[in-house]
Amino acid sequence: MTATAEAPPTDPPTTPEPETGGSRLAGLGEVVLRWAGAIAGAIIIFAAILISKGTDPISVFTDTWSATLLNSYSVQQILIKAAPFALAALAVVVPSRAGLVNVGGEGQVIVGAIAAAGLDLAFGASLPGGLMLLVMLLGGVLAGAAWAGIAAVMRLTVSVNEAVSTLLLNYVALDLLLALIYQPWKDPLGSGQPASRPVEDAAKLPVFSGTSVHLGLLLVVAAAVAVWAVFRYTAWGYQLQAVGGNPEAARRAGLPVTRLLLTAMLVGGALAGLGGAIHLTGVEYQLRPGFASQVGYLGFLASWLARHKPGAVLLAATVLAALAVAGDSLQLDSGLPAATANILTGLILIAVLGWTGTRKKASSR
Amino acid sequence: MTQRRLVTTFVATSAVLALAACSSATSSTTSSSTAPGTGSKAVGFIFVGPKTDFGYNQAAYEGSQEVAKKFPNLKVLTQENVPEDDNAARAMEGMISRGAKIIFATSYGHLQAAEKVAKAHPDVVVVQQGNVIDGAVPANLGTYFGTVYEPVFLAGVAAGKATKSNKLGYIYAFPIPQTINNINAFELGAQSVNPEAKTYAVNTGSWCDPQKQKTAVDSLLSQQIDVVTQHQDCTSTIIQATEAAGADTVGYHADAQSLAPKGWLTGSQWAWAPLYDDIVQTALDGKFTGSKYNANYRVGFQNGENPFVQSAFGPTVSAETKSLIAEDLTKLKVQGSSVFTGPIKDQDGAVKIKDGDSLAYGSAGIEGMDWFVDGVVGKIAK
Amino acid sequence: MSLVVDVLSGAVRGGTSVMYGALGETVSEKAGVVNLGTEGCMLVGALAGFATASATGNPWLGVLIAAVGGGALAGIHAILVISRGANQFASGLTLLFFALGLTSLYGADYVGKEIHALNPIAIPGLSDIPFLGPILFHQDALTYLSYLTAPALWWIMASTRPGLLLRTAGERAEVLTVHGYRIATTRYAAVITGGALAGIGGAHLSIAYAQSWFENMIVGRGFIAVALVIFASWQPLRVMVGAYLFGAALALSPALQARGIGINQFALDVLPFLVTLLVLAFLGKRTLLSAPAELRRVFDNTAT
Repeated sequence: MTATAEAPPTDPPTTPEPETGGSRLAGLGEVVLRWAGAIAGAIIIFAAILISKGTDPISVFTDTWSATLLNSYSVQQILIKAAPFALAALAVVVPSRAGLVNVGGEGQVIVGAIAAAGLDLAFGASLPGGLMLLVMLLGGVLAGAAWAGIAAVMRLTVSVNEAVSTLLLNYVALDLLLALIYQPWKDPLGSGQPASRPVEDAAKLPVFSGTSVHLGLLLVVAAAVAVWAVFRYTAWGYQLQAVGGNPEAARRAGLPVTRLLLTAMLVGGALAGLGGAIHLTGVEYQLRPGFASQVGYLGFLASWLARHKPGAVLLAATVLAALAVAGDSLQLDSGLPAATANILTGLILIAVLGWTGTRKKASSR
Repeated sequence: MTQRRLVTTFVATSAVLALAACSSATSSTTSSSTAPGTGSKAVGFIFVGPKTDFGYNQAAYEGSQEVAKKFPNLKVLTQENVPEDDNAARAMEGMISRGAKIIFATSYGHLQAAEKVAKAHPDVVVVQQGNVIDGAVPANLGTYFGTVYEPVFLAGVAAGKATKSNKLGYIYAFPIPQTINNINAFELGAQSVNPEAKTYAVNTGSWCDPQKQKTAVDSLLSQQIDVVTQHQDCTSTIIQATEAAGADTVGYHADAQSLAPKGWLTGSQWAWAPLYDDIVQTALDGKFTGSKYNANYRVGFQNGENPFVQSAFGPTVSAETKSLIAEDLTKLKVQGSSVFTGPIKDQDGAVKIKDGDSLAYGSAGIEGMDWFVDGVVGKIAK
Repeated sequence: MSLVVDVLSGAVRGGTSVMYGALGETVSEKAGVVNLGTEGCMLVGALAGFATASATGNPWLGVLIAAVGGGALAGIHAILVISRGANQFASGLTLLFFALGLTSLYGADYVGKEIHALNPIAIPGLSDIPFLGPILFHQDALTYLSYLTAPALWWIMASTRPGLLLRTAGERAEVLTVHGYRIATTRYAAVITGGALAGIGGAHLSIAYAQSWFENMIVGRGFIAVALVIFASWQPLRVMVGAYLFGAALALSPALQARGIGINQFALDVLPFLVTLLVLAFLGKRTLLSAPAELRRVFDNTAT
């Protein structure tokens, strides 16, 4: 029971269909059963809570299902919301493969957005739009990496645990955001409210024609594929996982452990920073006090839901985003308080964390 | 499922959804040429905080429930804890898809989302509570608010008369213009009857953080401040703490006299229902575009029913104070009068409003106020 | 009142709630379990305590139920991480979201309610001591209790059998098995006790200090409690100091503003976090070495 990531992936070769083996099929069936059982359990408890508040759970479920998943607008919104969750989750995935715990997605997302907004404020009109957007995204990447780098350096030089330092740095980042938008970056045309001015139109991420879904989504998918490929095909990815598996053995084998840990953390921060920059240029357009609030923490949970697998992270992020969007329907169609969505999310996470892994495997760690 | 297949599925799903969205989007934008808001089946309200905060959001929620009573044929949709970002646009879209063509976005920071939704849905009336639209106002959008600082000025008179130490306390969240209007009006009201009265402004950096609120009350009381008021979203902590310490309270957002039976002086509270009702009626009648609501509408004592009204007086307020306040109210109802009538100096002694000048409802001087009047102690929080 | 007295008495009052949370986290971590859900335990405690006090008129019954509520939430964490092998960080964060939802759902009816609260009581004689009197002896009963809780925990951990079991579960868990104890039982006890203490911390806020309930009223101080434990190197008495430092940082801004002294609120708000980071950097390896060994496995599977 440690914070260790999953061991280096022991995925079977990525053949599309499971071809042979009754035992493998049985194994798959068991997995499906476990997940179904866990989620059913969560939903039953949720239904009990609904009944305790005098609400009919069946109509709540049917209304929420159709309003959330059978409505194209709300599905677009789920995808938009999932984008920063997924990048914040990938920011947990990469360090976790090296055995590092990055709880700092929240702060790294914020500084990514701050850097992007700052670049726009500084150079917004002087660069052509496409180039500006690129510069902003790159700025977000670098800022996120730098923010995570603080924690990495503290870890490697003065042995400060990164789970703690990244958590603390979240608060520092949020404070930095507030300090900037309440004073120096406050939009002079914004009637005094704390917000930076909207980014230049040309520096906004384009959307898929006819939708509100921005092209940043492609970057998110690309990032997930890249993370997957790096771990599967590159020496760096392989070495990283060796460090995560057994750092002492890795050191004895002559791997540059310090450099690997540092780069893992930097890459993680970079991904979260990209998430912040994408959320700014694709959705929010300006910095406000609650910018990307809880994105980092939900991303952290998405990474654990997905057992730190890049492909599954996309799915987990989408599920968490869907649960958040389902909160709309819980309020509008069923008249429930906003908090009910948090309860449902909490129950599902409890069920998945506790009852979908094999117990033997869990206790052996 | 393998990584690759998951990714593929994800991309494929996005693409399909994007296409689906394409087709539906084109159909929804071809709205009829009828006036915005007409034929609405529902009215939507979004709130930035919980419906139960004993403050700003609760007052707006109660207003929405009055709309439900007044218009039994309309479904009233409410959504709480809607952040001041793009989530607000999503919340409003959800209401529109449920038949709402009239939407109230009730927090200051909901304006950007309101503008976005109004642009996407020319047939929907979107009104925003408290902020100001910069430049030309689209035909289906507007902002509305009470002149909050007017009843706060009157409450300042009560505080100025009540204080024995000549020190008043003002606990606020963030230095936005609306709050600065209030602090200044409170001090000006107090000064008008008690030239020695000073207002000590303490900020908490949060709209609802009971621990910081309590700490702020303690700090003020330890400096012999004997009247405490506030601009926070949740209000009861400060009022109860002030009452427990035996100091006087001026309320905000809600009538909390029951929480401060001894020290309650007066306060300002929301009575949104008449304004909400009128906006809904105007929109249903197809008369929204070009109406007073299709602008940055500010209603105060001079031009109608201010939705921000003075709360009832507490037991210790003297008849003299009450009559002074009644006189001030009469004066404020005169066209062209203003709480902010020169000469008014700022804290550094510089004249900000010249003798003979005054700030009118909705003027830039009010909506962009970023200075404290002479007599307020404490710098604007940075 | 002088500025120093004002800030220090505010530090004690304002630091108490987070101190209970941090003491609870200390107990849990000493047994090798991190609970990032301390914030959630505090929220549940704040509501459970307030609701009980409101329904029964008895604030002490409220404190008791707050402890039960905080302990129950921590119990879920215990099940997940001890029996089900879930990741400690993920489980803790999950419980926070769960607690946010539950307390908001069931707490709406209690907003703006009045209760029989635990008001400050001046201790005769002691409260008249110059300087120290107003700082230490003009406080509420839960604050007085906290003066005893931290030293008591220190003593229990250092000198009693349950304390020894607790430390062993955190240092060399396998030894417990050798002596016929179950590691899991000890850890369950520690995690639930920790949650109960955090629940009391929440109740201090809702029943004694702010005397009110609002949704999400802990606003992140549970995370500060977690950071304080590491800041304090898992020592209850240092937790006490850390909590008062945090309380002082909270009290300083309004105390200065009430005297007309302007201060940059953002600079002040960030101070507790920067100070903690600096202290950790300064202590460096020493912090790591003072961590319970099992906890080091949680934190530092790649110790360098």
